[in-house]
Amino acid sequence: MMEQRTAGRRTGRGFGRVLVTVYGILAFAALGRSSYELVVKFDEAPVAYTLSTLAAVVYVLATFALAIGTPAWRLTAWITVGIEAVGVVTVGALSLADAQAFGESTVWSGFGQGYGYVPLVLPFVGLWWLWRTSHSTSEERTA
Amino acid sequence: MEAQVTHGPIAATQVLTGSLRDVILALLLLVVALCVVLAGWAGWFVARDRAVILNQLWGGAVVEAFVLVQGVVAIVQGATGAGAADPLLFWGYYATTLVILPIAAAWAFAERTKWSSVVLLVASLTVAFLEWRMWQIWTGA
Repeated sequence: MMEQRTAGRRTGRGFGRVLVTVYGILAFAALGRSSYELVVKFDEAPVAYTLSTLAAVVYVLATFALAIGTPAWRLTAWITVGIEAVGVVTVGALSLADAQAFGESTVWSGFGQGYGYVPLVLPFVGLWWLWRTSHSTSEERTA
Repeated sequence: MEAQVTHGPIAATQVLTGSLRDVILALLLLVVALCVVLAGWAGWFVARDRAVILNQLWGGAVVEAFVLVQGVVAIVQGATGAGAADPLLFWGYYATTLVILPIAAAWAFAERTKWSSVVLLVASLTVAFLEWRMWQIWTGA
């Protein structure tokens, strides 16, 4: 099978396997959390729970985009991972400035404190990985 | 075996006592222990720069079997009115716990480098963590 050399390496290979795994787990966590919140207590804090749902959708999209890793999906990966980076920093900062900013905590509150700061670290690792795999290298198959 | 018949749902829902609690806790500790062993095995493979092997997936299947037993116990418990304090939350976590290893195993096995072992390591530790969270939810902690 021929590799698409011009478009860079596939993002789901090598270290990317681990990245996608952690993304997948976070996607499950965020999706589970938001479904629960939507079903059980949406009225308590609509803003926070809408934000949780948005975060969950972004994590799911990022997971698939990174896992598939074809050139077309690479753009989706850049966008979704980028949204996460901005989201966790923004929501994290706002939640520190005002604990009641969103009425309730979200995945991104306190910079992802409730998830061992994984939501803070992951998008930046993701961006790094997307950048690293964006150009083909001779060690393509060994990475 | 002591009789655990508790009449009235109010008394039974929150209180988890005696041998039933012991059975659930023992099962949970067993799953956590197996996960730690599997994670250690995977970690050893990472250090040796080796990919996941089929025997490790069988190890994952053993963990999975015990998680299924946990599900049966939880259903029986729920039916007798002594289920988790928050059933929806509990089953949400349970479903996640159940699917993580099979998906991770398939995802890892398709990669033939040491990174597949890292995937198994991460997945095993995640299941162990989720077990702990399920215990918290079950006991209403």
